[in-house]
Amino acid sequence: MWTLIAWLVGLGTFFLMALLVVHVLFALLLIVPTWRICERAGYSGLLSLFHLLPVLGSFIVMAVLAFGDWPKGEGKAPAPQPARP
Amino acid sequence: MMGFDIAALLGALGLGSAFALVGVVLAGWMCWRIADKAGLPGWTGLGAILLTLTGIGSLVSLILLWVFAFMRWPRDGAPAVVGFAPAPGGGAPVVSSPASLPPPSRALADRRGWKLTGNGVALAFDDTHAAYLLTGEGSGAPGELMVADPSVGRPHARLLTAAGRLGLEDLGTPGGTLIDGARLLPEHGPRDITAARTVRFGTLDLSLGRP
Repeated sequence: MWTLIAWLVGLGTFFLMALLVVHVLFALLLIVPTWRICERAGYSGLLSLFHLLPVLGSFIVMAVLAFGDWPKGEGKAPAPQPARP
Repeated sequence: MMGFDIAALLGALGLGSAFALVGVVLAGWMCWRIADKAGLPGWTGLGAILLTLTGIGSLVSLILLWVFAFMRWPRDGAPAVVGFAPAPGGGAPVVSSPASLPPPSRALADRRGWKLTGNGVALAFDDTHAAYLLTGEGSGAPGELMVADPSVGRPHARLLTAAGRLGLEDLGTPGGTLIDGARLLPEHGPRDITAARTVRFGTLDLSLGRP
């Protein structure tokens, strides 16, 4: 009986760990490019670690990038004027 | 009983689909805005998200994310940042006439000065001058910031202040200028470095901060 329980606990732990590893590996595929996007936008690259949060994490990163003011400037800035007329 | 189970399953699937639909719409909207801010057409961001609705499309979206991260954004090719006008030629610091400057898009309330420190260099300045000339050899002119280092050009860069923001323009010296590790070229014109942490002039890494 105890052997069976130990087996089940061990199996469950194994699958959980496997799931965790797969999740982290997949998150890394998103974190690396997002890290660069965040830094190019002027935010800390650490923001991309939200991808580790399942489901909601990606939406949080996207929301910050989409609705925040990019500290390093945005592409829709008005055209510059010449310094001297 | 079986019918009830099937109904419950369909209900759950329906709820899941509703959440998925809301998620796709939200993600599409946000990606539209992100692409737009990078200077790309907004529909490219929306299209990337809509691709995930197809099976293989998720993989394409992932590839597009990597491409987007490492490609050259049209925003980076923009010659200048709002509030700072490129000064013609090198030489003495040029203070653009207020009439020629467009109003800054977002003036900041914080009007403290700025300091550049590190590697034995400590420079402090405020918005007394609209432009400061960073040079390796000073002539004593007002608005000049001297950094006695052989890797710093004569002059090297121009620092611009406007509405609580700080801009930086490289003047094309061999030593080069980097903002947070990204190279600033003369053709980039003035860049907003208000939120930057480090600036490199030649071989000198300086931390940007407020006193």
